[in-house]
Amino acid sequence: MDDYIVSIKDVSMNYHTIDGETKAIDKISFDVNKGELLGIVGPSGCGKSTVLSLIAGLLEPSSGEIYVGGKVSYMLQKDYLLAWRTILQNAVLGLEIQKKLTEENKNYVIDMLRKYGLGDFLNHYPSQLSGGMRQRVALIRTLAVKPDILLLDEPFSALDYQTRLAIADEVWKIIKYEEKTALFVTHDISEAISMSDRILVLSKRPGRVISIHEIKTSGEQGPLNRRKAPEFRDYFNEIWKELDVHV
Amino acid sequence: MYEAEIPERMSKEHQAYLKKVHQINVSVRVCQIMIVVAFFGLWELAGDMKWIDPFILSQPSRMWATFIQLLHTGNLMYHIYVTVYETVVGFLLGTVLGTLIAIVLWWSDYISRILDPYLVVLNSLPKTALGPIFIVWMGSGEAAIITMALAISIIVTIISVLNGFKEVDEDEIKLLKTFGANRFQILQKVVFPSSIPTIISALKINIGLSWVGVITGEFLVSKAGLGFLIVYGGQIFKLDMVMTSVLILSILAALMYIGVCYLEKFFLRWKLA
Repeated sequence: MDDYIVSIKDVSMNYHTIDGETKAIDKISFDVNKGELLGIVGPSGCGKSTVLSLIAGLLEPSSGEIYVGGKVSYMLQKDYLLAWRTILQNAVLGLEIQKKLTEENKNYVIDMLRKYGLGDFLNHYPSQLSGGMRQRVALIRTLAVKPDILLLDEPFSALDYQTRLAIADEVWKIIKYEEKTALFVTHDISEAISMSDRILVLSKRPGRVISIHEIKTSGEQGPLNRRKAPEFRDYFNEIWKELDVHV
Repeated sequence: MYEAEIPERMSKEHQAYLKKVHQINVSVRVCQIMIVVAFFGLWELAGDMKWIDPFILSQPSRMWATFIQLLHTGNLMYHIYVTVYETVVGFLLGTVLGTLIAIVLWWSDYISRILDPYLVVLNSLPKTALGPIFIVWMGSGEAAIITMALAISIIVTIISVLNGFKEVDEDEIKLLKTFGANRFQILQKVVFPSSIPTIISALKINIGLSWVGVITGEFLVSKAGLGFLIVYGGQIFKLDMVMTSVLILSILAALMYIGVCYLEKFFLRWKLA
């Protein structure tokens, strides 16, 4: 387990507003191994997104240490494709901002768009695409800057259920194919089990680590196959109990 | 556009639908034209039949005669040029300066908060009250008139463009931050482009306001321009001249407004796609 690329040690985070102070996460520690897909589940408001923002460097922790050994790229809850930019222009946004929009990088993005079924839509506007296609563009935009670590913040929550299953499968394949490390936040236990190599379970606010599960299923891998695996239910029940959901 | 592109495979029902849409469009246009024709026709008739006194209310035929006469002997084109020039300059200055100031205020929330009450006061102040001050400062000429147009349009521009900037989706800004964007890039890539609809609607308001500024300015000081013709015509009791100038003015204002609408179509073509 010493092959980690991200390491979080005793990290706490407090938010300050005029009305007071909110403890979002409390002394969290965990490592992420190179090439693994780590799912983070927890009740809403448990600071899952905060963890990603801290790793991305968008926020400074109140205390604790964060080690990130690679280039990070963040995919938000919705696709946030800019309506006035074409698909290609949206996909190269990150490169543009980081001033790395070379001919070579642009072709890399075009190749990716073609490879993932968006070749005919390079000059279309986002409003002309379906939700699933838009999500794929958002992922390619995230991959375009050639990150080592992908941060996915409930990347499918804006999609309908059918599309969600299909896109999750596709995103999983893309991440594995491109050999990326990924942290993946969700409140959907099934989704986490279907996609992750390991799952980190957080408590409700202030977020603490309850447990970490290694997910191993028999049979073929990939989110859709995993949902059919016999172990799926057991993992689900175990995590469900830990989350201790009361309505 | 509806008739030209009916492919043959279109169903009868759809054809009927398009035809109906087309018919309504045509009938709207016909009614619009009829109102103009009826208005001027009635006006002319009322003058001829002595229902109204053309000396006070003028008459289309007399306005036409005045128009021709002004064109030949009264430097009408020059007057039009002066007014249009002042309006366009005032309008552009108001838009550009207003947008620049809005950018400064967006950049620094601190400055924005400090200046907020002053903007509110300046916005509610009737800017025409400043006319005499501008005249003292800048002399009774073009500069004072343009300043007047600027004064009237700039505050509204600042407020509406700044509001547009502030309404930009926080998550779109976050998206740019995840790529490490600096504040200038955030302005350039997200805040400004997504505020273009707001800026354009500010332009539409500004055009009207610039005309108000220029005409008021010309009332106060000028020796040329349509505002001058209106005031002068009023003073010598030539209502034909006043009415003709007002009519020309309304046509010019409409043309400029249409110009901005074309601009809107161009900049917002992604919305139509």
